[in-house]
Amino acid sequence: MKYCNHCKVYIRDKREKCILCGNTLPNAKDDGEEIFPNIPPYFENHLAIKIMALISVIIVVSSFAIDIIFPSEINWPILVLLGIISMWFSLYFLIQRRYHIPKKIIQQVAIISLLAVFWDWKIGWKGWSLSFVIPIACIGAMILIYVIAKIMKLSLRDYITYALLDGIFGIVPALFLLFGWVNFIYPTVICVALSIIFLSALFIFHSKDIKDELDKRMHI
Amino acid sequence: MKQTRTNWIKLDNASKYFPAVANNKDTKVFRIICELYEQVDPQVLQEALDLTLESFPLFRSVLRRGLFWYYFELSNIYPKVELESKPICAPLYFKDRRNLLFRVSYYNRRINLEVFHALTDGTGAFWFLENLIYHYLTIKYKDRFKDIPPLNPKASISQKMDDSFKKNYSEDIKYFNDKRKNPKAYQIKGTRNEENRTKLIEGSMSAKKVLNLAHEYNTTLTVFLTSLLIYSIYKEMPVNKRNKPIVLSVPINLRQFYESKTARNFFSTMDIIYDFKNSHPDFNEIIKNVQEQFRRNLTKEMLDKKLKHFMSLEQNPFARIVPLSIKDIVIRIVDKLGSNRITSSISNVGKIVLFEEFKDFIKQFSVCVSARRLSVTLCSYDDKLVISFTSPFEEADIQKNFFHFLAERGIDIEITSNL
Repeated sequence: MKYCNHCKVYIRDKREKCILCGNTLPNAKDDGEEIFPNIPPYFENHLAIKIMALISVIIVVSSFAIDIIFPSEINWPILVLLGIISMWFSLYFLIQRRYHIPKKIIQQVAIISLLAVFWDWKIGWKGWSLSFVIPIACIGAMILIYVIAKIMKLSLRDYITYALLDGIFGIVPALFLLFGWVNFIYPTVICVALSIIFLSALFIFHSKDIKDELDKRMHI
Repeated sequence: MKQTRTNWIKLDNASKYFPAVANNKDTKVFRIICELYEQVDPQVLQEALDLTLESFPLFRSVLRRGLFWYYFELSNIYPKVELESKPICAPLYFKDRRNLLFRVSYYNRRINLEVFHALTDGTGAFWFLENLIYHYLTIKYKDRFKDIPPLNPKASISQKMDDSFKKNYSEDIKYFNDKRKNPKAYQIKGTRNEENRTKLIEGSMSAKKVLNLAHEYNTTLTVFLTSLLIYSIYKEMPVNKRNKPIVLSVPINLRQFYESKTARNFFSTMDIIYDFKNSHPDFNEIIKNVQEQFRRNLTKEMLDKKLKHFMSLEQNPFARIVPLSIKDIVIRIVDKLGSNRITSSISNVGKIVLFEEFKDFIKQFSVCVSARRLSVTLCSYDDKLVISFTSPFEEADIQKNFFHFLAERGIDIEITSNL
């Protein structure tokens, strides 16, 4: 063990300088012990994201540049910009909630639905977002949650809330039908029907679990 | 596959604060360390950990977010002991990740238990570690310890799971009227450690000698060391900042004041304030003042009031129906505002007592906390008192003053640091 003559203390671990005063320690017979591991600095590798960010900037800037050099009738660079913003938005949520897959699926359904409505509206309202995207996203999510829950052997409480939420989402398109907002009704009808069956099944088989789960999550 | 019905538990009063304010700079994780005289055997440690967990079911829970409050959900995750490979007090709670709130690691002769503060306080964690060490040594040295009495469970499982805040607060006590807010306290400044790591400096010394020294000043160990910390900080205060008081936050273990054997959080804190008012300080003067503040704060009446105050915040109907994410933001803001009223903190976790027979195997125990500001923690085992400073800053002048004071009075100190 080395001894610091300035601080009058023994220094147990291996080091050249006193941790308290910074003075060089005199040599001693015993060099000191290794008490703490040397932990290398932790660099988070965000290289892929940085490259994607640069590519996004290049695409947006060059589309505006091309538009200025070769003007066209429609303002397509704006669409490129919005497209890239949509992609990043979606990606952000995907990376954020890395640990909770059913929750992530539900979030993606909400994001995709909102973005689809937005795009549909932006490029002249054709109604495809309500007719196709939302119902198909709901059905897809329902199947996906179930399959993932089985594959990953999630326990019921890990996904029941999200299954429930998706079932309720899936009934919402019934309103679109009611207000006559959809021109092509098959996906919507299938989605609503499946959701009702799915929700009923949940309630019939798992009403106790649903109640427990709600008690837990909603306790005041 | 049949679902097992799983239990869940509400967080106790103090625990509610930690998940809201934990971040990468201040992880709200604390570490307790048991240093043996020999290399740690990971396999035996794993066996010991498995056994210990059976007596501490709460340690197997994960922290989850409800709509209004956080809650613990009992999990069936099995913890693995790991070779120490993370900075001290590395984060343990991650939003939306389902993981246990403690980790057991080892390096050479040391066994480290790191715990997220929402799970339990120092007393609870030490209790867990005592169990772990008991099992470790009795498995490893079966023959030698075959006659040792079985570990006496100090409490039933339900007592250990007890929410003692709720149990011990009474509605009748008059509302705690603490309108008199502390003034802005002196803040220690410095260069941040790389990657916001925590710098730990541990000083290990004879408990008896320090106690004798405290007695020379006619006071107790905790009051003596608290005063010494104030004195050490004062020496580094720039002259133009000396008009601000030094405020130390000191946690109080409530188990000694109320009947409780909980292995969960049960503590309160008091602020020890010393205002130099530009005067020249005298160490004896500081001790007298600190002793008086300890005496005033450590009465049942005062603690009752504080308990009531914190419980009433939680019981407030309006606070209850606010969604959790908004609660989190409010707690974070209040916490930020309050942080400039504290200079540093000092916590004496106390004396650890194990079977006499283990003395030949255990060198010392120590404890340290994640540090948003300079923090001091101490504990003793046998005749070894270990005082640990954790700091977000590279500078170590206050630590130097502190240990220098003791060394000059004839106490041999062994210093260890992680950075």
